[in-house]
Amino acid sequence: MSRRRDALFLAPAMAVVGVVLLAPLTLLLVISFWTVRSFKLQPDFSFEAWTRFIVNYGGLTVYTLAIGMLTALICIIIGMIFAFGVRFRAGRYADALVLATLLTLFGGYLVKIYAWKSILGADGIINQGLMRLGLVGAPVPWLLYNRGAVVLTLVHFLLPFAILPLYAALRNVSTASIEAARDLGATSAQTFWRVVLPQCHAGIIAAFTFIFLLAAGDYVTPLFLGGSAGSMLGQFIALEFSTRFNWPAGAAMSFGLLGASAVVLAAFWLLLGRRRAA
Amino acid sequence: MKPSNLLWPVGLGLCLVFMLGPLVLVVLFSFGTNALIGFPMGGLTLAWYERLLADASFLAAFRTSLLVAAATAIIATATGTLAAFAIARASPALAHWSLALVSVPVLLPPLVIAIAIVVLFVRGIGVGLGVPVVVLGHVLVTQPFVILVVLARLATFPMASVEAARDLGATRWQAFRLVTLPQIASALIGAALIAASISLDDFIIASFTLGGGNTLSTFVWGKIRTTLDPSINAIATILLVLTVGMSVLALRLARYRG
Repeated sequence: MSRRRDALFLAPAMAVVGVVLLAPLTLLLVISFWTVRSFKLQPDFSFEAWTRFIVNYGGLTVYTLAIGMLTALICIIIGMIFAFGVRFRAGRYADALVLATLLTLFGGYLVKIYAWKSILGADGIINQGLMRLGLVGAPVPWLLYNRGAVVLTLVHFLLPFAILPLYAALRNVSTASIEAARDLGATSAQTFWRVVLPQCHAGIIAAFTFIFLLAAGDYVTPLFLGGSAGSMLGQFIALEFSTRFNWPAGAAMSFGLLGASAVVLAAFWLLLGRRRAA
Repeated sequence: MKPSNLLWPVGLGLCLVFMLGPLVLVVLFSFGTNALIGFPMGGLTLAWYERLLADASFLAAFRTSLLVAAATAIIATATGTLAAFAIARASPALAHWSLALVSVPVLLPPLVIAIAIVVLFVRGIGVGLGVPVVVLGHVLVTQPFVILVVLARLATFPMASVEAARDLGATRWQAFRLVTLPQIASALIGAALIAASISLDDFIIASFTLGGGNTLSTFVWGKIRTTLDPSINAIATILLVLTVGMSVLALRLARYRG
């Protein structure tokens, strides 16, 4: 009786997942084996789209994953410093700092991208400052439209996703265990590496997984701030669905990106799992 | 004071400036007379906001965004709350797997979700795109957050009070309406606000599945791409105030219940 009611309660949410996620993804996978002839989608069983993905976009996929990993790594390092400071050094400001982090979490995906364009652009705030100080005579153009601008903006956008899980992990690290390590003669570096960090294991895995997937799958940031040097795979997936109208190609690229991301995550989990066991 | 004592305040301050600075600039310049972000920002003005309020295409986008956000919030809170009740009572294994399944959309690139939805609704079932499709996409993405908020509330919920109501002769529905609902209401409103703010902030799913017309974020996108229109700062500020305001309210409601 109660089991049947539980199933009934779960049904609407699961129906949404089925209709809006599983069914669409299944069809997308099927379509990746179809072909396009004179702009018409034709049911087929062809590896054309997949071959094209591997031949034309293999390198870009590796680069895209590298940007995802770099973003996750930078976020985790800055996030760890910030979370550690909030947990152990901020005193009565701790709550305000956590609130500020939460504020940046839910709002302003496009706003953040636009803000960085205004800051880094030729007539942006950094160039104006440099010119006023007399450091440069003309605006420096290389602040924008490159890989650095993309990673900077992704880090800004995704940093809260590192701070929050790391802070949650650090909250469970007792001050007593740190004091004990210090009393036993450990330096602060030793205390951090051997007492604090191992207890943040789950937080680091959660932060890396989330940030890596979101960064590697983003296409608006590189489209807007990356220029031609900073392009990422997502832009070309979007292109196949907006202007090129080659759905099989876009579908194969989507699953290629998901598959490659899964490999990176599996490797990361294995690596961290082994380190913990050692 | 030793210099090393200053290291942490300065470090934390720099992080804070990095996180909040760009957003503060956008808000600040939405009130400046200069067309571009840069100092000096000129005098203070509300001209950009006035211009927006007179712009019919902005108002239409605003209405669509509010409609989508409200529908998403209501539907996702309903499906998410029902699911949370089931998950809270289910066996650990079932709870784990159903939670994992509904949370998958949070880990997928919104781009892949968006194009998959387009493929199914245009080619698969042929109903076309539009506001209802955007809402479905947003419900998919927001219901895991609702489930997490409601589950957190249910974890400290005194189930004995419901049993007491039932023992005293209340029907299941009466027990829910008179005992459970008043106690979880603030968490539900918090969850709904989080869903609404994620919906308002979404650009990728909306831009692919809306078909025609604009939401606030696709409207901003159109402006960013074509011109350097200073009213972007004003729209961005409105978006920020809405999403940040709703999430602050949500956090208060979800954490400190009335």
